Amino acid sequence: MSVVDATLAAGYTVGDFLLVVAAGFVILAIGMLYRAVKGPTMQDRVLAVNVLGTNTVVILAILGAALGEPTFLDIALVYALLNFLMAIAISKFTVERGGVL
Amino acid sequence: MADDGVPGSTGGSVVVPIESTPTLRATVTHLVESAADGEFSAIHFVVFATWRDGDPEAADREASVDRLLERVSTWAEADLADVDEVDVDDVEVVTTVVGGDEYLFGADDYVRELVAYAGDHGIEHVVLDPEYTPVGNTTLLQSLEFALSRTDLVVREAPVARPTRRERLRKEATGIRFAAIFGLSLAFYLALGDPFYPFDVVTGVASATVVAVTLSRVSLDADPSLTRTPIRLLRGAVYVPVLFFEILKSNLVVARVILDPRMPIEPSLNRVRVIVGSGLPITTLANSITLTPGTLTVRARDGDLYVHSLIPWARDGLFDGSLERWTRFVFYGREAARLPTPRERDDVGIFQGPDATEEYPGARADGGSEREGAAVVDGSTADATEADGSEDAEEVTPE
Amino acid sequence: MIDALSPVRLALIVVFGLCGLFFTFVSMAGVLRLPDVYSRAHTASQADTLGAGFTLAAVALAAGWDGAGFKTVLLLFFIFVTNPTAAHAIARAAFEEGIVPWTEGDERR
Repeated sequence: MSVVDATLAAGYTVGDFLLVVAAGFVILAIGMLYRAVKGPTMQDRVLAVNVLGTNTVVILAILGAALGEPTFLDIALVYALLNFLMAIAISKFTVERGGVL
Repeated sequence: MADDGVPGSTGGSVVVPIESTPTLRATVTHLVESAADGEFSAIHFVVFATWRDGDPEAADREASVDRLLERVSTWAEADLADVDEVDVDDVEVVTTVVGGDEYLFGADDYVRELVAYAGDHGIEHVVLDPEYTPVGNTTLLQSLEFALSRTDLVVREAPVARPTRRERLRKEATGIRFAAIFGLSLAFYLALGDPFYPFDVVTGVASATVVAVTLSRVSLDADPSLTRTPIRLLRGAVYVPVLFFEILKSNLVVARVILDPRMPIEPSLNRVRVIVGSGLPITTLANSITLTPGTLTVRARDGDLYVHSLIPWARDGLFDGSLERWTRFVFYGREAARLPTPRERDDVGIFQGPDATEEYPGARADGGSEREGAAVVDGSTADATEADGSEDAEEVTPE
Repeated sequence: MIDALSPVRLALIVVFGLCGLFFTFVSMAGVLRLPDVYSRAHTASQADTLGAGFTLAAVALAAGWDGAGFKTVLLLFFIFVTNPTAAHAIARAAFEEGIVPWTEGDERR
């Protein structure tokens, strides 16, 4: 019996708790989406998308643990690195000189 | 800043005419390294005054030259601290302004002043920054070198790569750098895979080789030291819990500010000059500052960090410089961490808000001028280059 | 694993998970409420990093110390290194674009 299947209280397991946390993250991500759509500047949108990416990584990791899918973690790792590259690349190209980092 | 350089016993003194160029930082490093090798015992950085005392703009230009000289001596100090073999007191660094009582026109005028200065201080050597053009005349260096060759001074140009953007990232390839990158990427690959599965080992070696061949010139700018790196890692391990505690503490403070319905924020952009080496140390410091809530590093320009602070509390914490001391501890050891706070050193400035002490800096103050007009906004008005959306920005949350 | 089900461990998972949710909530509130891109970058980089850190710590505790737990710790490390760097790059791009930070009395934007 793994940790995820351990009972916390009233028949609910750690896995259930993690799924609830993941659901909370999804709701927060929807809030963040407002800023990505609204802007008003390019940097605001990049920032919001970057935060959304971090949230996605966390959600992936939680789901990986809660559903017993260790491969989700590899996806999360790759996603985290891509997310970082995205932020750097867009920051670089919004400045016309291309001199960021 | 002293004005009287007395030539030491070992090696001679060297005079370096400087102005703000992209290669100045590397030139300073080169000089300090030469001095560490025993070539020079004193380095005189001089700036030719291109104004005459009493000119209407003299005070402004003098102030900017003073800032340049101060920056150069900070760099030299930091470089000296980086060199292990040499005692810091053995190398004398002098910064001074030459001229100012008459206008200087051509190369001959500059050389005359330089020779006079060298004669006064018993200096025999001149090292030139390759990008040095004192009056913005691109052909001056040639004739300056020519004019200097007719004097008794020994002249050479600092062997510093000019900042052609493409070349800047490429460093020398050495075996130890290759090995370090190879080992690191192989370890990462095997950590994600299975180190006991032959297929993973073979593909890991192959991809680590590709990474090391392509990136070992780019990723490391100095050979990793076998003695210093483990010590730094160890000291870094001490730093991490401290940093984490700082993050937690100030995150709680900032969370309270953000969740407060009145949202009592008082943002401002600040400048703080830090005394840590370039490269990894300043990156660590800037990232630590960004991680600590309430402060965000916006720009690192030479030794100056432009830091945006959300609340005055965070700004005060920044000016107390505890993160700077920790970074110095991680990279240079315990003795190096004992230094006055930026506030005591007077290395701080506030660009905005009621406590502002300095004018808001332009985005391109050191380079091009295409946004000069927009840059001088004092912070109370939005500037025109901002993205168009300001009119549709509305209250997100009612007060 | 002897202590797999120890109440301390289960309690830590719950506490870390809730802390992670709280700080991510702070981050979202900041990104929505704060007046300009610089101050939004504060919460986006910091509160969010801490929120992600806490949640990933909970995940690592739930996953145990084998491969999955190790990868989670690696992920946590990456986020701690890359998030402030990305925030810095974005803030610097904004600075180079000539966006002046909001100060008291300005219009919100």
